[in-house]
Amino acid sequence: MSTETSTFKHVSSSPHLRNPLTTGGVMMNVVIGLVPVTVFGIWHFGLHAALVIIASIASAMLTEYLFDLIAKRPNTLWDGSAVVTGLLLALCLPSQCPLYVPILGSAFGILVAKCFFGGLGQNFMNPALAGRAFLLISFGKVMTDYSYDAVSSVTPLASLNSGEAVDLGKMFIGLATGHIGISILCIVIGGIWLLVTDTISWEIPVASTISFVIFLIAMSGRGFDPYYLAAQLCGGGFALGAFFMATDPVTKPMTWSGQLIFGCLYGFLSAVFRTQGSMADTTTFAIIIANLATPLIDRMPVPQPFGVGKKGSSVIPSVEALNAPKRKSMIPKSAIILMAITLVAGGGLACVNMMTADTIAENERQAALAAYETVLPGMEITSDDALTAQVEQFAETGYGDGAFGRVYINEAVVGKDSSGNASGYAISVSSMEGYDGEIAMSVGILPDGTVTGISFTTITETAGMGMLANEDSWKAQFKDKNVEAFKLNKAGGSTTDEEIDSVSGASITSGAVVNAVNAALDFFHNYVVTG
Amino acid sequence: MSGQTSLIMIIIGAALVNNVVLSQFLGICSFLGVSSQIKNSAGLGGAVIFVITIASAVANLLYTFVLDPLGLDYLQTIVFIIVIAALVQVVEMFLKKTMPALYTALGIYLPLITTNCAVLGVALNNVSDGYNFIQSVVSGFGTGVGYTIAIVLLAGIRESLEGNDIPKPVKGAPLVLFCATLMGMAFYGFSTLG
Amino acid sequence: MERIYNGIVKENPVFIMMLGMCPALAVTTSVTNALGMGACTIAVLVISNIVISLVRNIIPDEVRLPAFIVIVASFVTIVELVMKAYFVELNASLGVYIPLIVVNCIILGRAEAYASKNAPLLSAMDGIGMGLGFTVGIVAIAFFRELFGNGTVCGFQVMPSFYPPVSLLVKAPGAFLVLGFIVMAMNAMNIKTQANKKVEEGCDGGCAACGVADTCDKKEAKA
Repeated sequence: MSTETSTFKHVSSSPHLRNPLTTGGVMMNVVIGLVPVTVFGIWHFGLHAALVIIASIASAMLTEYLFDLIAKRPNTLWDGSAVVTGLLLALCLPSQCPLYVPILGSAFGILVAKCFFGGLGQNFMNPALAGRAFLLISFGKVMTDYSYDAVSSVTPLASLNSGEAVDLGKMFIGLATGHIGISILCIVIGGIWLLVTDTISWEIPVASTISFVIFLIAMSGRGFDPYYLAAQLCGGGFALGAFFMATDPVTKPMTWSGQLIFGCLYGFLSAVFRTQGSMADTTTFAIIIANLATPLIDRMPVPQPFGVGKKGSSVIPSVEALNAPKRKSMIPKSAIILMAITLVAGGGLACVNMMTADTIAENERQAALAAYETVLPGMEITSDDALTAQVEQFAETGYGDGAFGRVYINEAVVGKDSSGNASGYAISVSSMEGYDGEIAMSVGILPDGTVTGISFTTITETAGMGMLANEDSWKAQFKDKNVEAFKLNKAGGSTTDEEIDSVSGASITSGAVVNAVNAALDFFHNYVVTG
Repeated sequence: MSGQTSLIMIIIGAALVNNVVLSQFLGICSFLGVSSQIKNSAGLGGAVIFVITIASAVANLLYTFVLDPLGLDYLQTIVFIIVIAALVQVVEMFLKKTMPALYTALGIYLPLITTNCAVLGVALNNVSDGYNFIQSVVSGFGTGVGYTIAIVLLAGIRESLEGNDIPKPVKGAPLVLFCATLMGMAFYGFSTLG
Repeated sequence: MERIYNGIVKENPVFIMMLGMCPALAVTTSVTNALGMGACTIAVLVISNIVISLVRNIIPDEVRLPAFIVIVASFVTIVELVMKAYFVELNASLGVYIPLIVVNCIILGRAEAYASKNAPLLSAMDGIGMGLGFTVGIVAIAFFRELFGNGTVCGFQVMPSFYPPVSLLVKAPGAFLVLGFIVMAMNAMNIKTQANKKVEEGCDGGCAACGVADTCDKKEAKA
């Protein structure tokens, strides 16, 4: 394929740039547009920010160069798109992040999201954001550590969410905590440059901003609060996304109406994630989800005549074959044999069940006992009829009428010390709201209401995420605490006794556990103490 | 978040947060195989929603009124599978007789659903999550919707990739797998909702 | 024996035949899980192959698919009960995947393609071969995911402490990514697989697990 003067080597279905500039020219405009925000970022955050930017761009270029080399394809570095990807990614990163972050992020974005799909103009997802998503999912902690020069890592958006006041002026100019591309002022200047040079068109920035504001009003619970709305617009990566990333000519819809829809989608998703979710970065996911929908948006106005399929319409056979007499007429003999097989199988299962049922029950008993002994060390575990009767009340319906989600109190036992006095209680409680089903645990409580700790009897959450709740260090948060109820702290950094840090990335699991413990505490306070 | 597991949350959870294909890896075979065209994918998705919703309902009823009271929990796998196979048969025959046009459009996908792990997976999950009837139906519906969203999005992407200059080793299965990777990463954004 | 070599190398279910992907992607977050799942699958596969081979002449053709499913489902439940009774810890980690062995295309595929047409001993060997091939496949995937995604292998820290674990690999999208790289590598080495056929045409010749086999014009005769 020869490289002509036109911008593309072949006609593909991806969007074509609409202005007479070459691809290189367009990229140049984008880079120029990014200069103000880049310079500000380096000035505000220091030398390391410059290193991050350089590392990101270098990695992007190197990855593309090596890929072209190994795959024996013409070198595409001249079009400058790798530079833009590297720069955009860097602007989304915390200024002091370790350098493997931009290096790996750029490499992933360029390689997987771009090269594998055929290179420039053929990817469906913005490579910089694909890289950023990769980093967010892989290196969560490092990616949300925005501290620099001994300034804390709390971003203005985080402050806003916890109800504190933020300085709008500072946020707009960029004198705040956040990622390198933080100056909204500079972003707007760059955005205007892009609009003026016809590098981007107005539909997406305008549609996304309006849609973002509208849905924020609808979902944030604060109604029309200009201060809050302005803060949301100036915070996080929304502005950078609206001008520089959602407008990526390759991954946005082709028609202007499609772009309006795309912009609205981006705004809507941003609002949803900002108000209903607890993810640190909403822009990245909002845009890449919208990217997924771009091919469909592009196809929307063109109705396909029914029956017109492409060559090799896989699974649809011809109409004749469909009308031909089909199989599965249940001849009685076959049906009887099938029944027989089913009965034999069922019978076999019943046998095995009989053989193993006792052992299984015994195993479960042992596990429960072990859990009790873990939370009530050194005590003799006994059951108490009155207590058991109390538990029975809630066996069918669960405990708490939904205040703790769907929880069930399974059992309550008494721990006796050597002189036979009740020195502790263990309550076995299950929450059905774990990420992967039921989570069952024993909660040990001393007569004065101090929680001695928790021990899981059933937990099948995701390895490396929810399962981390089973680590001693996490469980220790409940140990020796005397509180009315625990509170889940999704952001981490708990200071008071009643706050429990969520397992990073596993708030559902953590929430279920906290609810279950609270249910046990509630049961204890209401039904045990009086006994 | 404490409080009732509202039905909306169940649907969003099943469709987006815990997407059956991209997070739970159920239904992969058909996801990869039938997603090359939007029309096919939409058809399969519709059939899946239909079957999963009804199967969830029936499975839940069977469990609540037959298996659980009789202590026959261990038979749930077999029973559910038979229910699903029978259900697909019944649906097929019913559609063929009463709505032949719809049958022609959808019918060919129905037998594929019997071995689709998503259906069995949802039925079993409903039991282990302790859902009641309404919740089971809603969860099944949400799962089907999630499957449809995933497969239609993938089909859209794959159609737009036709004509691309894909590097030779990436052509075919790896390309689809990388699409799935990026889709899975995008859906990760839903994971903190609610 | 030839069957075993076939299962592990020539017709490896994970890489060559692209069967059994649901569990392949789900349990490969750690090598230990993969080994456990592999062992369970071998057990079920061998037993079901033997039984189906024994009754192959009794099962009428029209109901063979439901019959296979019932037999396989029973054995899976038996394995499940045995594990709950005697292998409690393993059961805790492999929880929801055990019942999914039922619709694991490998089991049904081998039942249809081999066990229903061959003697029990050969079928058993085929079961062992395919099961081992499956295990090798998922352990390979798990190895990369655990090593680079967690820094460990079988729970033992292998990577040096300065290595930042790429958590994406142990999460859902990472499974697709690793498998994609592996198949890409195989394509690059010109190793022929069914993978590309499967995604291009929706059909890999695995007629057993395919519901439209009777009306399909692509049906190839399987050995």
